[in-house]
Amino acid sequence: MEFDWTEEDLSYRSELQDFLAEELPGRWEGATAVLGSADNAEYSRRFAGLLAEKGWLTPHWPAEWGGTGATPWMLAVLGEELWSRGEPRGPQYMNVNWIGPSIMAHGTPEQCQRYLPPIAAGDVIWCQGFSEPEAGTDLASLRTRAVLDGDDYVVNGSKIWTSYGDIADHCYLLVRTDAQAERHRGISVLLMAMDSPGLVVRPIPGMVGEHSFTELFLTDVRVPVANRLGPENEGWSVVREALSFERVGAPRWARAAHVLDETVRGAMEQGQSIDPVAVEAVGVAKTACEAARMLCYRVIDERARDLPPSPHANVARVAMVQAERLVADACAALQGNEIMRYGSDSDLQMRKSLAAGVAAGTYEVQLNLVSRRHLRLPKN
Amino acid sequence: MDFTLDSHQEAVLEAVGTLLSRHAGPARLHDLGGDEPGYDHDLDKRLAEAGFLDIAEPRSPSRLDAALVLETLSGALASSAAGWRLLVLPTLDIDVEGPVAVVAESHSGPARFAADADALVVIGDDRVRLVRPDRPIPRVRSRLGWPVGDVNELPEGGLIDEAPVAETLSWTRVAVATEMVGAMQFALDITVRHVSDRRQFDRAIGSFQAVQHGLAECSVAVEGARWLALEAAFTGSASTAAAALTQASEASKLIFRRTHQYHGAMGFTREYDLHLATLRLLALRSEAESFGRPAAACAHEHWGI
Repeated sequence: MEFDWTEEDLSYRSELQDFLAEELPGRWEGATAVLGSADNAEYSRRFAGLLAEKGWLTPHWPAEWGGTGATPWMLAVLGEELWSRGEPRGPQYMNVNWIGPSIMAHGTPEQCQRYLPPIAAGDVIWCQGFSEPEAGTDLASLRTRAVLDGDDYVVNGSKIWTSYGDIADHCYLLVRTDAQAERHRGISVLLMAMDSPGLVVRPIPGMVGEHSFTELFLTDVRVPVANRLGPENEGWSVVREALSFERVGAPRWARAAHVLDETVRGAMEQGQSIDPVAVEAVGVAKTACEAARMLCYRVIDERARDLPPSPHANVARVAMVQAERLVADACAALQGNEIMRYGSDSDLQMRKSLAAGVAAGTYEVQLNLVSRRHLRLPKN
Repeated sequence: MDFTLDSHQEAVLEAVGTLLSRHAGPARLHDLGGDEPGYDHDLDKRLAEAGFLDIAEPRSPSRLDAALVLETLSGALASSAAGWRLLVLPTLDIDVEGPVAVVAESHSGPARFAADADALVVIGDDRVRLVRPDRPIPRVRSRLGWPVGDVNELPEGGLIDEAPVAETLSWTRVAVATEMVGAMQFALDITVRHVSDRRQFDRAIGSFQAVQHGLAECSVAVEGARWLALEAAFTGSASTAAAALTQASEASKLIFRRTHQYHGAMGFTREYDLHLATLRLLALRSEAESFGRPAAACAHEHWGI
């Protein structure tokens, strides 16, 4: 057991920091927007191209698809540095961390040729068509139906809470291809073009900053069978595997820690006296970020050893949600009435912290998984 | 980075575990007086003979192995001041044979081990002293699972030349955080066993989601404290030390309330072992605060506020 960074990781971090200091001076325009906003997504198209040129957009991919053999630790460093600057990759992190790897693992040679190079170049945006009005946390109850007709599936149904639905080029879409099967069977993954006839995208105004989600309405949308990812009716295992890549791919603690740091420094620069209650709150919030950091590192260590996904990932997720919330409380304690000013750190962080325990799997589901898989508490 | 024990660490912990399985644990603590125990000089002697108490070299910047040993001692409910010896004394390069107690200079009143210690390490704002009391420090009756003495009007003198004050304070925080982790894990483990076995309404109470979520949060809190404490012991970083102690203190509040709550009345009894760990947490938390509020120390270390 030891907790040192290797020389290689340290020099990678420092090279990355120099690059980011150049390319993302101070508060770049997207940082004040929230992850998921149209501003942030547009910015990401430019920025991802720059990263791709340096080989830093998909460094962990196989060389065949543009990777540079980065270790899980280097990937963690990359994630930390980018998330602590407001995640300028915007929606690209989904492509890079799990949509691309999922296509690599299950795609046909044609699908890989068609979809992977644009992701590696950073000039494409994907959205995920998972949740439905009646299938949120209970994702396996999804109903959007795809029926085979010649060389196409004909898709009918709707998806909701789809981030980037209004700007994405493609959708990683979950559909039901066998209505009779047990609910975890009978699901397939389709790679759908977002300009498909019959697809209507409606924005849903959100209160988490500028973030807007969308709703997708699919009426007789034709998706070629050639665009199915993996075997028919086995989409559930494809997507479960894909999401195990995603879960700790987003080091939200690093962004939360950065917001806290900016807020404290802002208060100090203004010569604001920080009362003991606020000092206590920022100390507790900083601690929560640090704890989440170590719990994420434990997962990365497992990944670096090629161990299968473990419940330690769920432990880390819970800690990250707690950190986001405590940072929101600390910013509010520090900034007082500034929370009324739209776009203040405390205003934005309070909004973001609401999404932390909902997006990509609820806090409660993570607690279920920690209690069953980590503590091995009994089922009913 | 490596989150697994290396072969040396494994061997050390296995040897410590074997020794503790014979000479520590709840039964031994009950023999020593349970929640009102005497000091376990016999255990200290055995640990010293086996070489476990000086596992960190004097002035060594990294004390991870010592922290791993301390967490194990605490998990076995040792009635010993070995934590101070393992993690704090290597900063000071001083020679003391028997148990030591560590107290803040501004502190007066109950302090762990003070009545049993050969010497007290007294941490002031700008100095560290090694005080050998000129008369016995009286015992305080305490039911929090530790031998406690009443510290008042300590003699002057005993200045340790060029002792690094901030560093001493920082290792004090690592030691308390590590001891809290061991005790919290004991309480959590015994509670997980209890709720898995105890049936009401024809089902294990640990299958109720309210109980599951409560314990899952406890577990996440303890894991966070453990890895921060170990990282702090490895790096010697003052800011990580303060974060580790803050996390441990916050976690101990959850552990104290919830592990007792899920035990029902069983958890009130002196016969059952839960209180041996949970009451200790109260003492450790207040002791931590006598060196300054942990969260405030964390804010100070990170931002100078």
